[in-house]
Amino acid sequence: MTAFVNPYKKIKDLHPKEAISPGTGLCAGCGGLEGLRLAMKELGENVLICNAAGCFTLLSVYPFTPLKSSWLYTTMGAPVPAAQGVRDALDIRMAHKGLSNDENLLVMAVAGDGSSNDIGLGATSAALHRKLDFIYFCYDNEAYGNTGFQLSAASPLGSATQTAPTTKVHPAGAESFKQDLFEIWKAQEPTYIATVSPREPVDLSNKFAKAKTLQGPRMFICMSPCPTGWGYDPKESNLIAKLAVDTGIFPIKEYFEGKVVHTKPPKKRLPVEQFLERQKRFRHLFEPERRDDIIALIQQHVDEYWRRYE
Amino acid sequence: MFRIRMHGRGGQGIKTASQILGSAAFNSGFQAQDFPLYSAERRGAPIVAFTRISEDAILERGPIVVPDLLLIGDETLLESPQAAPLCGSDESTVIFINSEKKPEELQKHYSLSKLPLQWNLTELCIQYLNHGMLLSTALAATGARLIGTISLQALLKAVESELGAQGIPKKALEKNHELAQTIFLDLPSTTFPARQPADLQANSLIVMEQKGIRDASPLIFATGNMALRKTGDWRIQRPEIDYSHCNKCLICYARCPDGAIRVNADDHPEIDYDHCKGCMICAQECPGHFINTVREAGAES
Amino acid sequence: MTTDERIMLTGNKAAAWGARMAQVEYVPAFPITPQTEIVETLAKWFAEGTMKGKYTNMDSEHSMFMAAGAGAATGVRVFTASSSQGILHGMESLYTLTGWRVPLVIVNVSRALATPITLEPDHNDVMSTRDCGLIQLHAETCQEVFDFILLGYHIAENPNVCLPVLVNMDGFYLSFTREPVLIPSQEAIANFLTAFKPAQPVFQASQPMARASAVFGGATYSYFKMQHNLAAYHAEKVFNESAQKFSEQFGRTYEPAEKFHMDDAEFVFVMSNSFATKGKAAVLQLRRQGIKAGLLKLRLFRPFPSAFIAEALSGHKNVAIIDQNLSPGMGGITYPEIVASLYSHPNRPKRILSVIGGLGGKDIRESDFMSIINHFKDPESPSPLYLFDDVDMASFQKIQNIANPKEEPSSS
Repeated sequence: MTAFVNPYKKIKDLHPKEAISPGTGLCAGCGGLEGLRLAMKELGENVLICNAAGCFTLLSVYPFTPLKSSWLYTTMGAPVPAAQGVRDALDIRMAHKGLSNDENLLVMAVAGDGSSNDIGLGATSAALHRKLDFIYFCYDNEAYGNTGFQLSAASPLGSATQTAPTTKVHPAGAESFKQDLFEIWKAQEPTYIATVSPREPVDLSNKFAKAKTLQGPRMFICMSPCPTGWGYDPKESNLIAKLAVDTGIFPIKEYFEGKVVHTKPPKKRLPVEQFLERQKRFRHLFEPERRDDIIALIQQHVDEYWRRYE
Repeated sequence: MFRIRMHGRGGQGIKTASQILGSAAFNSGFQAQDFPLYSAERRGAPIVAFTRISEDAILERGPIVVPDLLLIGDETLLESPQAAPLCGSDESTVIFINSEKKPEELQKHYSLSKLPLQWNLTELCIQYLNHGMLLSTALAATGARLIGTISLQALLKAVESELGAQGIPKKALEKNHELAQTIFLDLPSTTFPARQPADLQANSLIVMEQKGIRDASPLIFATGNMALRKTGDWRIQRPEIDYSHCNKCLICYARCPDGAIRVNADDHPEIDYDHCKGCMICAQECPGHFINTVREAGAES
Repeated sequence: MTTDERIMLTGNKAAAWGARMAQVEYVPAFPITPQTEIVETLAKWFAEGTMKGKYTNMDSEHSMFMAAGAGAATGVRVFTASSSQGILHGMESLYTLTGWRVPLVIVNVSRALATPITLEPDHNDVMSTRDCGLIQLHAETCQEVFDFILLGYHIAENPNVCLPVLVNMDGFYLSFTREPVLIPSQEAIANFLTAFKPAQPVFQASQPMARASAVFGGATYSYFKMQHNLAAYHAEKVFNESAQKFSEQFGRTYEPAEKFHMDDAEFVFVMSNSFATKGKAAVLQLRRQGIKAGLLKLRLFRPFPSAFIAEALSGHKNVAIIDQNLSPGMGGITYPEIVASLYSHPNRPKRILSVIGGLGGKDIRESDFMSIINHFKDPESPSPLYLFDDVDMASFQKIQNIANPKEEPSSS
């Protein structure tokens, strides 16, 4: 068992330095950006981000970049293969071409849930199989956000998206449960997997601090409340993130050395509808008439999850 | 032909306004064209939409460079170099600004070359729709009225078809109808100076030279330079820290997605108004409620 | 190798040798017939330590090309190879990495594209990469495959090019065909191709940068595309300089296109890749029959050496452009390019005929060249001309009758 002591106890302890400058074109109140900002504070400046097409493409728009470190725009399906190429090339140069270790970079893939769950999953799986030494950051806003909020495999059951809209004939929205990316990744036994939430900055920072000390694939799913796509006032981003945790809908956990540990388990789980009712994407579950059947299905799914652990 | 350019912010219904006006013109028997300019920017960011209205076939596409009518939904944009809502306007352009300020005051405040038309649409939207941000109907009705050749009936039909397509409830639609009617009947119409097309002048095309690879490919070496872009003009509301009560817990600092709150020398949080987008998470999350929410246009007065 | 050696190699092995002698450091790879022998050979050489660096088994061509580009952007000499469907699957990555402006060499072993799926060659796969901004060299022999890989790195890594070079060879006809190839000594090669020092900025901690960020507003996009275009045009000059240096070092001279019995030719066939060998044989045979035939073999295909080709073809009466590719609804893909090159030439050929042949590995026989000659004699004959004759049709119908039996068997 590797001993790792969490460096942070409270918000005031967090790394003071910013690694992402303000001024980006991302939406006001973007939960994903909040997560990435906190992560990058911890990872520092010797990082190369291989970015997948998605909302975060807007992070660097020529002639600007918010990063003090490096950025490579790739494609929607291949940020991880790009990370492989960079990692391999740095390793080759350090092993055979006299590149000093100081010149090494922490290689990172940044992708949305659409890229992570759909178009890029195969390539990521292959990199997990190869035990690529990198950090993967999935900002999960549960749909294709940059194109205007279409259904992805991460869209939760009952949510309305532009491509699974709710109509009189088809009132439910998304018909499948959210794909469990954590479990998919876990089956390939990467070094580390964590789910993080911008609502829990200390937990998030400790996890990135820990990941930084490890080698191999280190995978993150960051719950990314999306005022634009989920339909709530941007100021409520953190409240929504908190309700996602408190209702048990988004479990905050890590997988390390074969074990899953919930690092922020909800003390007493709130009913899921407290999370659902604040968002326009679930409004059809409450009006014009309540869809208790669908709400119950969502609650049951959450209950079943926690029954395994509580 | 009337070339109408509308300026506002993501979330204010500017695109819908251009569509209501386009449909209203179409319903009145005109040729019409409307489209929004999507850029990378997001909610709160400046956006622009266009409507062309003509008796003859419209042989134009793309952004309107020289507008006949400028409808500025959000006056704070006048101070934004990125939005630059006056860009391309000339002596024949009629400028309308949604504001509580009087035209003379607006001209002085924003150093306008001529007196603008003005009406307080936000107040009307609050009155009829209970929301000052939903400008689509108001702006379209303003455009229809100023142009003067669109009938009220055609406008109301367009409000119904465009908002109806967005699934707006019946009651809200009725309120939008009342709002459109009020603006259409109360707002004075205007006249548009005739515009003669100038003879075409050729551009000076260049023969491009090949540059070295550092200048020839999309590379950015000035890392961290995004801060040069000021996103402060996205704000509709402004957070203001009440330092007499702030206890330096730094929750606001941790929760700001954009990193637009820094910690100053005496460990107080300090808001970077050049970049704060006004999401107001900080105000919402401050445990002691020591961050106040102030409407941006009135923040100075 | 310490001394020059002449050995029997397949086209695939010659490609592997090219990568090895160029001291390639990084090979991300994915198998596809008929290319697989290349990456198998390299995998073995890396595994046994003959080659230094890393061989990475990738999960698709899309991933492979992306890793290759990212490796080049991080400062190592990269090689990879693909074919056919693999090129199509990797197309998004190909466009991406050419825009990154990074040097590497890619070998494409031409194989016809589905549907229907087949293994045999034609050039629609390499033509699909025509517009993505690669430099392209097309090889006729195994020796050319080897030489073009060395030449390819020399061009790709030129500071005023910084673009991937694709070396093309035909599947089966070259990839699996052994013939003697001269491999120069490592020392001789070092005189031509020095150890890799990237001219383009590469990723490392002391050089933070953002590469390939999104652009908005057409002017920025246009600027970078026009620069890419200028670099690609410039690559023709670099090709000639590199070929000159190559010739001085190794004695083999490569022009942008090869002229074969062109001087007095009244009928010129324009061909590329391995079938040009068949064309050359036909030229010799036709000349024995008293017909003044010649052949122009395309070699540098991107940048397209328009002036060279126009100069080579002007003054000849009849030119047949044989495309082993097909753009349905239009015809051969190189035909309009060559016609456009000749348009303003005062001495342009009287007749330029488009010929489609060799699709999906269909043989082009010497007699087909006679058909082309005859075709020229008939002023009413349609263009394009398809090299598909009554014997081909009869044999196909026999096969189709098994798949789709007719009540009355067709008479043949």
